[in-house]
Amino acid sequence: MNSSVTVAAAPAASAKLAAPRLPGTFWPRFIVGVVLVLGWEFIVRWLAPPYVAKPSTVLMAIPRVIVDPAFLTATGSTLAAVAEGLAIALVFGTVFGLFLGRSRLFERSVGHYVNGFFAMPMVVVLPLFSLWFGYSPATRIATIIFAAIFSIVMNVADGARSVPREYLEVSRAYRANKMSVLFGVVLPASMPYLLAGFRLAAGRALIGAVIAEFFLSIGGLGYYILYNSRSYKHSEAFVGVLLLAAFGVCFELLVFWATKRFMPWYRRER
Amino acid sequence: MTQQQTAAKAGDDGEPRIRVRGLGKHYGALEVFKNINFDVGKREIVAIVGPSGCGKTTLLRCIDGLLPHDVGEILVGDTRVTEPIAGVAMVFQHFGLFPWKTVSENVAYGLRMAGAPKAEIARKVPEFIKLVGLAGFENAFPYQMSGGMQQRCGLARALAVEPNVLLMDEPFAAVDAQTREILQFELLRIWQERPTAMVFVTHSIEEAVLLGHRVIVLKGRPSSIHETITIDLPEPRTRETLQHPRFAVLRERVWSTLMAEAREAEFVLER
Repeated sequence: MNSSVTVAAAPAASAKLAAPRLPGTFWPRFIVGVVLVLGWEFIVRWLAPPYVAKPSTVLMAIPRVIVDPAFLTATGSTLAAVAEGLAIALVFGTVFGLFLGRSRLFERSVGHYVNGFFAMPMVVVLPLFSLWFGYSPATRIATIIFAAIFSIVMNVADGARSVPREYLEVSRAYRANKMSVLFGVVLPASMPYLLAGFRLAAGRALIGAVIAEFFLSIGGLGYYILYNSRSYKHSEAFVGVLLLAAFGVCFELLVFWATKRFMPWYRRER
Repeated sequence: MTQQQTAAKAGDDGEPRIRVRGLGKHYGALEVFKNINFDVGKREIVAIVGPSGCGKTTLLRCIDGLLPHDVGEILVGDTRVTEPIAGVAMVFQHFGLFPWKTVSENVAYGLRMAGAPKAEIARKVPEFIKLVGLAGFENAFPYQMSGGMQQRCGLARALAVEPNVLLMDEPFAAVDAQTREILQFELLRIWQERPTAMVFVTHSIEEAVLLGHRVIVLKGRPSSIHETITIDLPEPRTRETLQHPRFAVLRERVWSTLMAEAREAEFVLER
């Protein structure tokens, strides 16, 4: 009785285990990519005026654009501003977030303001910033910082709030002072949150920079894209767009590498 | 050996290191323990056993100053304990290692927080890593080590500050049975090299009898000291101690004391 049940159950189980073999990730991705690119190419050829960007013209524009001094200056200017703004946002956002996460009083007094600023679209502060700082790179930096800092603050605060009690207990038992607990225990324990916030912040910083350039008409990749699309050089503009996407990918890879290199313990604790 | 033997006996060398007087503690309306009185000699191991939830870990945290107590007082040497003080080190059940620090950095933590000069840290850290048998793992991260090795590291961190009081909070409860036994004898070896006052909280009766010079049995809700059993086993304690006829007798005695408490607790619940 018992054995017949087992025998009957066995083939069903093994059939479940032998799931149909899925194709690798490469081919499905490749085919979708080809379909999208070809679709774009032919739809634009049939239906759009000749200056509208299509894959073939964008491709042909790349060698021309990447040696164009105007393009290089624009890219350099945007990247430098993003790097500067991100660095400032990272340092101040981290410190602010640590205090926000660990101090009940601080949390109560400024918590809601931080949430409010985080929810505020960065586009709406641009007109104000341009009044305060002028139509200048300073306004762009301010926008980048505004765009980036709150996601760092909120993530670091979350991380600081959820530091395992054991770590705090150990640091108290060894009589660590408050600053050493904050920067020696709470900060490293919050690193995963900080990284998540930083990745969000990087994307938002890039958006902030481009929007500021659109609005302020100061030199940069955003302005380059705007200028070229308005002068019917859509393919050139598109190279700029692709470059922005590439920055996103590169940044992601950089964070991944840095995590593996400098935080080997991350995702492997416990 | 004779020196160690006499030294290990309770109260033999003058003043006790730790004095707990009339200690009581509440968590809100819940009274955890009351009227706790005991001393720990300068070279004495006192084991505290009791059923789960009897407040033995809370008591230990009060002695360390991690938790405040409500009534009574705790003296370590001449210092009244209200917060963690120098010269007292604690080993945690959860190890409490920082995952972002290597073994060396974890061991150095207590020394760094105590403000020890760099040269002293550089000299002491390898010494204590070697003492606990972790030589060769200086640059390993906690996630790369077994539970037993992690607790060796936690022990080295506590010993490195050269405390005169060691507080052990069920330090071997989170490791497997074989490792636990190995670590018990390692601890005895280390203690014989560097004797201190030690309070050892455990729920293993064998462990309490093997390590302790006295075993305190906590009882009741709120708990108080039900009985203090002097463990008159020959020093130094080794593997042979486990075969000693007296060991079985003492283990039985602690066991029956604890079980009487368990039966009473059951009875109280049924009512």
